[in-house]
Amino acid sequence: MLLRLVVWTILAFLVAPLIIIVLFSFHASASLSFPFTGFSLRWYQEIFGNTQLAGAVTKSLVIAFFTALVTLVLGASASLGWLRLDRVGRAVIEAMSVTPIALPGLFVGVSLLVLFAQAGIRLSTLTIVISHVVIALPILIVAMKARLALFDPSLEEAARDLGASQRQTFARVTLPLIAPTLISSAILAFAVSFDEFVVTSFVAGTETTLPMYIWSMMRRTVTPMVNAISTLVLLFSVAILLGAWLIGRLRRQSAISARAEP
Amino acid sequence: MKAPTPIIEIRDGKKSFGSFVALENINLSIHEGEILTLLGPSGCGKTTLMRLIAGFEGLTSGTLRVSGEDVAAVPPERRPVNMVFQRYALFPHLDVFENVAFGLKVKGLAKSEITERVKRMLHIVQLESLANRYIDELSGGQCQRVALARALVNEPKVLLLDEPLAALDLKIRQHMLAEMKRIHAETGATFIYVTHDQDEAMILSDRVVLMEKGRIVQIDRPEDMYARPKSLFAAKFLGETNLFETAVADSGAQGTVAKTASGIGFLSRNGVGHKTGDKVVVSIRPESFSFANNDEGSSQKTQGQVEDVVFIGSRSFYTVRLDDQAKVRIQVQRNGRVKPPEPGSRATIYWDADNVVMLPQA
Repeated sequence: MLLRLVVWTILAFLVAPLIIIVLFSFHASASLSFPFTGFSLRWYQEIFGNTQLAGAVTKSLVIAFFTALVTLVLGASASLGWLRLDRVGRAVIEAMSVTPIALPGLFVGVSLLVLFAQAGIRLSTLTIVISHVVIALPILIVAMKARLALFDPSLEEAARDLGASQRQTFARVTLPLIAPTLISSAILAFAVSFDEFVVTSFVAGTETTLPMYIWSMMRRTVTPMVNAISTLVLLFSVAILLGAWLIGRLRRQSAISARAEP
Repeated sequence: MKAPTPIIEIRDGKKSFGSFVALENINLSIHEGEILTLLGPSGCGKTTLMRLIAGFEGLTSGTLRVSGEDVAAVPPERRPVNMVFQRYALFPHLDVFENVAFGLKVKGLAKSEITERVKRMLHIVQLESLANRYIDELSGGQCQRVALARALVNEPKVLLLDEPLAALDLKIRQHMLAEMKRIHAETGATFIYVTHDQDEAMILSDRVVLMEKGRIVQIDRPEDMYARPKSLFAAKFLGETNLFETAVADSGAQGTVAKTASGIGFLSRNGVGHKTGDKVVVSIRPESFSFANNDEGSSQKTQGQVEDVVFIGSRSFYTVRLDDQAKVRIQVQRNGRVKPPEPGSRATIYWDADNVVMLPQA
């Protein structure tokens, strides 16, 4: 009974800020405190009229997409390589991939800024993507590694034994089996990039991502529009996760129906 | 007439992993169509030997030929050999049909031929009704059949089975053994069967390759290996036996006589080449002892006290303590003619010289 109470309290604690934000995004007045004076969609209308905001969202989506793509390719290669390493090699890679997670974002931001300046790379969307890859890759490797450790290497041997070349084995066995892991990892990288603020603020130059735009808005005045934006971002995140889940289910159902014909 | 080329031939095979020698002095010829069992305790190298044949490992030295051709440079996917993995290694993202069709698909066969061959194979393993099931929806015995079908549909010259029954419970195991014999007869492939279970080896094999610590210790038909083990290890590993520490007292045309320290003598017609004074271990199977003297000329005997009787239906196991305190296990087949002794009574036990095996000390 007590345990149940604790669980519900923790859940409420986690969800409460989200509820407040969603609630006030529909508030008719500009006030961010109770009493609630009525519902309105005015903040949402303001969002869609705001071209600067639209630009920032587009930029964040593009950056998150490329971050996810690059991280996925690098992370998948690293993880597949990791599977084939011996114990010592695995430990070294693990240590190296966990270290950047432990570093404060501020530190990573400054180091990257110095690095880009030294290398003579102009700050741009590219430098943001590179920085996001640096942040997302270790997280992704850790997440993938845990899942891939469950991968049974005898499945690959079985495929080879049945006459599949190395390439066929990868395409027909390894890839389909690790695909759900890859997709969920890519979504994770996308999410990390989409709301990254600290490091981005160092390496963005004149570019503006969505978190940076929200930050600059809040520095001027705290507007309820922020709540509306947050609510939309929340919806977007839920939609992505739902989509990933559905993809996982559909794949299997189509495999069943494909065999139904005589 | 020249003997036909063995389907698999290993000469002076050696395999080491770093400083660890997994296999040594491997000389083995496997004939087409036979069921050959690689038998031995875990760690004896039997699985490594199988993986060498499949192509997952390469010999450190020596040669491996398949149908007379050296396959050192041939990768697993181009060997006419298929394997049933210990834990089956079935593809969880494919259904039963697709699992079985895998080998044919990667070879690029026509769809109609694939369907036909997969269906025929599913019929052989009696899984037609489960063609659209996924692997996680199958029982252990069904997985086993899918694994067999997936390998056999490729019509391999050699089928490798790596402890395929280890994950099944006893009842299904016995059923699958019978099934395996049937499938072997139906397909005519050569089966190489790895197991640490002597019963499986005895039931299934045409020949047994007994392995210990990376070496082959004996290759024989199961009944010969049981009746004529060539080493103490073989005698102990296959079936139950009674062992007596003895020294050779006399060796002549009649056979070899060896005596225990307490003076019990054993005459053997099998111990050849032993010199007087040699220390040998005498091995006699429980069923080779009897409480009745049924063969006048050759029977040998000694006396002891019956300590314990265990009835197992048609058979009984007796524990007899001999006068020198050695315990002997005796298996008696139930029949009406001879009344077996009561527990606690004294009894004379008999055995035949043909069933006395003399082995060098380990």
